[in-house]
Amino acid sequence: MRRKLIYSLVGIIILAVGLLTINLAAGYKPALGLDLRGGISVTLRPVPGQAYDKSSLDLAVGRIRERVDSFGVGEPEILRQDNAIVVNLPGVNDQKQALDLVNVTGKVYLRPVLACAAPPSATPVTSIVSTATTTSGTATTTVGSSAVVTLPTTTGAGVAPGSTPTTGSPGPSRRVNSVPPTTPPAASTTAATTGSSADTSTTTAGSGGATSTSVGLPFSDPNATQILPTRDGGRCQVGPSGGTGEVFVRDSAIPRIIGGGWGVTVDLKTGSSGEGVWNVLAKECFNGTTTCPSKQLAIELDGEIQSAPSVNAEQFTGSVQITGSFTKAQATKLAQVMNSGALPITLQAEAVQTVSATLGKDSLRAALIAGAIGIALVLLFMFLYYRRLALVVLIGLGVSGALIYSLTSFISRFYNGVLSLAGVAGLIVSIGVTIDSYVVFFERLKDEIRAGRSLRNSAQRGFKAAFHTILVADSVSLIGAAVLWYLSVGAVRGFAFYLGLSTMVDVFVAYFFTRPAVLLLARSKYMSGRKIMGMETAIDGAVQPLGATS
Amino acid sequence: VSDVIDTESDIQIPDAPARRSRRGRLYHGETRVDFMGRKWWGIGASMALILVTIISLLTQGLNLGLDFEGGVQWEVPSAHITDAQARAVLTANGVNAADAKIVTVSASGVKRLRIQTPAQTTAVRQKVSEDLAKSAQVSVNEISTNSVTAAWGTEITKKAVRALVVFIILVALFIAWRFEWAMALSAITAMLHDVLISVGIYSLLQLEVTPATVIAFLTILGFSLYDTIVVFDKVDENTARFAGARLPYDDVINVSMNQVLMRSLNTSLAAVLPVLSLLVVGAGILGAISLREFALALFVGLITGSYSSIFIASPLLAWLKGRTPKYRSLRAPRAIGIDLERLVMGGSPAARREAQRLRSAAHTGDTATAVLAPATPEVVLSHPPRPRKKKRR
Repeated sequence: MRRKLIYSLVGIIILAVGLLTINLAAGYKPALGLDLRGGISVTLRPVPGQAYDKSSLDLAVGRIRERVDSFGVGEPEILRQDNAIVVNLPGVNDQKQALDLVNVTGKVYLRPVLACAAPPSATPVTSIVSTATTTSGTATTTVGSSAVVTLPTTTGAGVAPGSTPTTGSPGPSRRVNSVPPTTPPAASTTAATTGSSADTSTTTAGSGGATSTSVGLPFSDPNATQILPTRDGGRCQVGPSGGTGEVFVRDSAIPRIIGGGWGVTVDLKTGSSGEGVWNVLAKECFNGTTTCPSKQLAIELDGEIQSAPSVNAEQFTGSVQITGSFTKAQATKLAQVMNSGALPITLQAEAVQTVSATLGKDSLRAALIAGAIGIALVLLFMFLYYRRLALVVLIGLGVSGALIYSLTSFISRFYNGVLSLAGVAGLIVSIGVTIDSYVVFFERLKDEIRAGRSLRNSAQRGFKAAFHTILVADSVSLIGAAVLWYLSVGAVRGFAFYLGLSTMVDVFVAYFFTRPAVLLLARSKYMSGRKIMGMETAIDGAVQPLGATS
Repeated sequence: VSDVIDTESDIQIPDAPARRSRRGRLYHGETRVDFMGRKWWGIGASMALILVTIISLLTQGLNLGLDFEGGVQWEVPSAHITDAQARAVLTANGVNAADAKIVTVSASGVKRLRIQTPAQTTAVRQKVSEDLAKSAQVSVNEISTNSVTAAWGTEITKKAVRALVVFIILVALFIAWRFEWAMALSAITAMLHDVLISVGIYSLLQLEVTPATVIAFLTILGFSLYDTIVVFDKVDENTARFAGARLPYDDVINVSMNQVLMRSLNTSLAAVLPVLSLLVVGAGILGAISLREFALALFVGLITGSYSSIFIASPLLAWLKGRTPKYRSLRAPRAIGIDLERLVMGGSPAARREAQRLRSAAHTGDTATAVLAPATPEVVLSHPPRPRKKKRR
């Protein structure tokens, strides 16, 4: 028994100290929420009155993440909470920039391709972006003066897609109906020029009305001719949109193996809104008219060309196959895009909150200082009331603190959770609940001693009864935390999470630390024969009659 | 509390053991407060508070913050900017300055101007921020803004209400399963009482209700239930303990309340101290405004949470249980004074000796003593019952 208790006590202390050391050594820290370090928080919701489902929202979250990542915001937090999307951008202060960043429509456009440039060799998208913010002005000129921009209007020839096979990338060229693509005229030096200028350009070129922005990915302007990036890093100039993803039947796009490689099949809606729209486009592209000289039809989502397959038939009925050298993941992604495009959602910013960094820091500092003073006062009170037993409370709070800090850090590191002001408040409140576990136990202990039991016996019986109470009461807290976490949005969630976390730690510490600590103390000389909490007791259980005169 | 504890000390019982001082008894948990006898004090006080709350809610309503009403808010360090200058900036940007609510708040010794207007477009918001920064001679990064559509506020409220309803149902089921329905009903009534009074404070003082306030109310709700559960756990234990003694339920409650009194006081103090520190040090001295409202709601909520467990939940439980067939027949007068204390300390050596003395007195025919001896169930229950053996499975 005694050995077991010692194991438990030593075990939990080693666990707490060990976790804390690992965290400190690895430099994991709890990621602070926006309200504690400044930044912008945007809450988006679908504009009311439109049909959508969760997968459309999930796709929108994915799109926002791509955009935010391409812009290079550190530690962004992008979450879907029920049917709202919360985007937290720490360190960003420009509201307009933040709103542009999260402005995704989920709309898929079908746009004829005028010309395409090869992907710049091995240039990651993010690096393009970071220079873009500073050099966009000059970059626009470069693109504007290059031959590519004027190309579609003067010649019918496209710039070769995938003309730099060294990248190993399949390029934007895909085939529809698995007919081999026609090899477009070889790229001249213009392609190279565009390729390199594309490095620094993020601005949309072409006809006026195109949005100019400093954000990593350009905005889609379906009514204009634009240069848009492809998923593999290339660029294509595309004409005005000829139709939207709504020509496809919802959820009909399926990735599958077609003719030895991965591809996507999708069904067209019947009638003029589906096949009608599609076939007009297909006809243009199949015939290589001036509106679609490259014979490719781009599938664009939020300013990025997902795929630009060549059209190999003039008329389609029922369904369309897109084949090419896709990987399974690429085909799946394309199918997902086409499915969501069949039912796009328009999001609107419901709440935009900017917190200045100084205000955030002040709040954090105030919360920390107040918390420390609060804990010190509680401990002082415990020592005044429970005397030596309060030592258990002191070490116990240390163990709880180390565990909560470590868990918070781990969660920040691996699950993208952040500690917000509401979370800090949740933790401060949980001090009361944690202390209560000790109070319930110690008051029990007193009852048992008064009933005439030895300290050793009292500790054992007292814990059993107290732990029962702690479990029931903490269960209620846990139910509350879980319900709030599942059903609420924003700050309430953060609060619920930390309340739940600290409640669980409380139960854990009560069983694995407080129990062995008090039980061992009750056997030790430290407590024996002393007045414990005013109760005269001795180790042998001989109890002085309480309050009796004789 | 200490005033109440000693009201029976003038009753002289023969051979009553020497008693400790008032504080000593409280410290040692030897109190004998007749909570049930004073239940109308508590209920009356609560009724009065609730009445004030309802009147205030009907007449003034709640001061709902930006997040519920929709609109835009800017917060600017106001060392170099005045109210009038801020209004000029608003007017220059086409915002109707007459609609704007401008207040000065103090945070960390720095005065900040808080400007609230109805909803504005993104472009206007950004322009106003820049212009305000210029006027205030600070970087635009120093300005906090917050913009919310009214629809979103409604959404948050709806979600919170839905979460609340689910929470109450789940907790009621849990308490009913773990204890009994009467306890579930009492605990939830006490919880609603606490939230209502906290909301009343917000309405009465016209404090702004923010999302942080909602969190605070939810915390109050959680703590109130937590506290009530701890008290009811004791009641539950005593119900089983006195089951054979046919003790009226009022007495069971009284005994339980006295037994958990010290725990309730200690826990309340331990829970309130950090919140008080948050309120006084965090919000008051260090001036973190965002903490102030939160801490205030919690402060009120934690105190009512502990209070209602004893003065609302328990009398209600006694009333509900007292009507059940099992307890209806037990119409004995409540044990008060020393009898109550004996029940509270049931099983102590002193009590045991006393019980023995009474029994032997009755046996030997010492009628004088026997008549004097109070016929409390304590005589029956002279020592705590042996703990039930664990069921073998």
